[in-house]
Amino acid sequence: MSAVSRFPVANPMVIFREELDEWAVLFDPDANETFALDPTSVFIWKLLDGKHCKEDILTKLNEACNDTPEDAPQHLDEFLEELAGKSLIGVEK
Amino acid sequence: MTTKNQQEIQIPECGYTLNTIYFYLTEGCNLKCRHCWIAPKFQSEDAEWPSLDFELFKDIVRQGKALGMRSVKLTGGEPLIHPDIDKILDYICEQDLQVTVETNGLKCTPEIAEKIAKGKNPFVSISLDGSEAAEHEWVRGVEGCFEAALEGVRNLVKVGIRPQLIMSVMKRNAHQLESIVRLAEKENVESVKYNLVTPTARGEQMHEQGETLSIEELVKLGEWVENTLQPSTKIRLQYSHPNAFKPLSKMFSRPQGKCGIFGIIGVLGSGKYALCGIGETVQKLVFGHAGTDKLADIWNNNKILHDIREGLPKKLNGICGDCLLKEECLGSCIAMNYYTHHDLFAPYWYCAEAAKAGIFPKTRIRPGSQYEKVI
Ligand code: SF4
Repeated sequence: MSAVSRFPVANPMVIFREELDEWAVLFDPDANETFALDPTSVFIWKLLDGKHCKEDILTKLNEACNDTPEDAPQHLDEFLEELAGKSLIGVEK
Repeated sequence: MTTKNQQEIQIPECGYTLNTIYFYLTEGCNLKCRHCWIAPKFQSEDAEWPSLDFELFKDIVRQGKALGMRSVKLTGGEPLIHPDIDKILDYICEQDLQVTVETNGLKCTPEIAEKIAKGKNPFVSISLDGSEAAEHEWVRGVEGCFEAALEGVRNLVKVGIRPQLIMSVMKRNAHQLESIVRLAEKENVESVKYNLVTPTARGEQMHEQGETLSIEELVKLGEWVENTLQPSTKIRLQYSHPNAFKPLSKMFSRPQGKCGIFGIIGVLGSGKYALCGIGETVQKLVFGHAGTDKLADIWNNNKILHDIREGLPKKLNGICGDCLLKEECLGSCIAMNYYTHHDLFAPYWYCAEAAKAGIFPKTRIRPGSQYEKVI
């Protein structure tokens, strides 16, 4: 398991491109790998600026959606772990 | 050396399970479609063409199962004009194989429909190139084939199979993309797939004669199908443009038909093994003959199959090499790419034309690519 930073920050090398349907393409030039982000993941990705902690992100998510599921914190943890596992966000050493 | 997975299926030496065999059962066809990428000979009462020997078919199936095969696709030519189609369908059922049938529907009688329905998870697609006889028959070249195809659809629906309609889109029928959906709703089919006429065999002539749509028109139609037509119906619509032109939401929210090139081999009506039906027109993509060669030898040792497994997607060139979706797409159709450029890793015609016209989606191009500049 990767140790996700308290204030997660997106890997600056990763290319983020939003599309018309609010999904986005993430491209990691180092690994030459492409990922697709759904609209919720895009929302979170934009907050991975090293200034927002997980609680901030959850608060913003709650503000933006009327019906955030109860297990949103768990989903957020899993998502950040996944990003960290793929070196798409920084991890705590 | 072999290893075993949990279901005790032996993984072939090459490391790739053979999932499906595409059987191009007949060298002839009872229609004369002007866009056909295989270009079979016309079969009528006056002329009958060879088809795959039933004993050979059984032998290939047995060998395929030993390599992990769990499904077969019957196509052509026209699979339902095979003289032993009854026995073939019974045998597939006995062998507990999933079956897909691609047909023009003319010979899809109530009896044949019953037999297909007895198979494991049958999937049937029927070609219908317009919502009216005039368009369909202009494309297919035989009078009366529109009503006969619809009869085939109804015979399937009666036995509980909701088929897919496949419409090949060209200038002549482009105005019927919507009306075919309404027909599909009325006939209670499962889905409509829009195929694009590819520049292969007879389709190549159509491209040369200006009977196909331009890349700009095709891209626009694709967007319209995804964004406007699809929301107007409960029927699943599938527009066969490559991944670069599909919304991510569509690609990742539902399973997409993906060419399973690493797990497929083709068998032609003559009994030859080939990459797929392209073997009818491209000799280099023929790998041997079922009468003399063992399927396992071909599957494990054929050089072209080996090159494809080694090279895809990393050796793709042109726009495909710089496409961010190449891992998913694998260059769309290797057979067609080879037909056009004699290179297994050449770019797919649709994306190459779009890149040239400056309408390839720029969010899907590798940063720094020469194709970014075209746009
Ligand atoms: S550029 Fe090639 S790999 Fe990318 S979507 Fe088109 S055909 Fe597929």
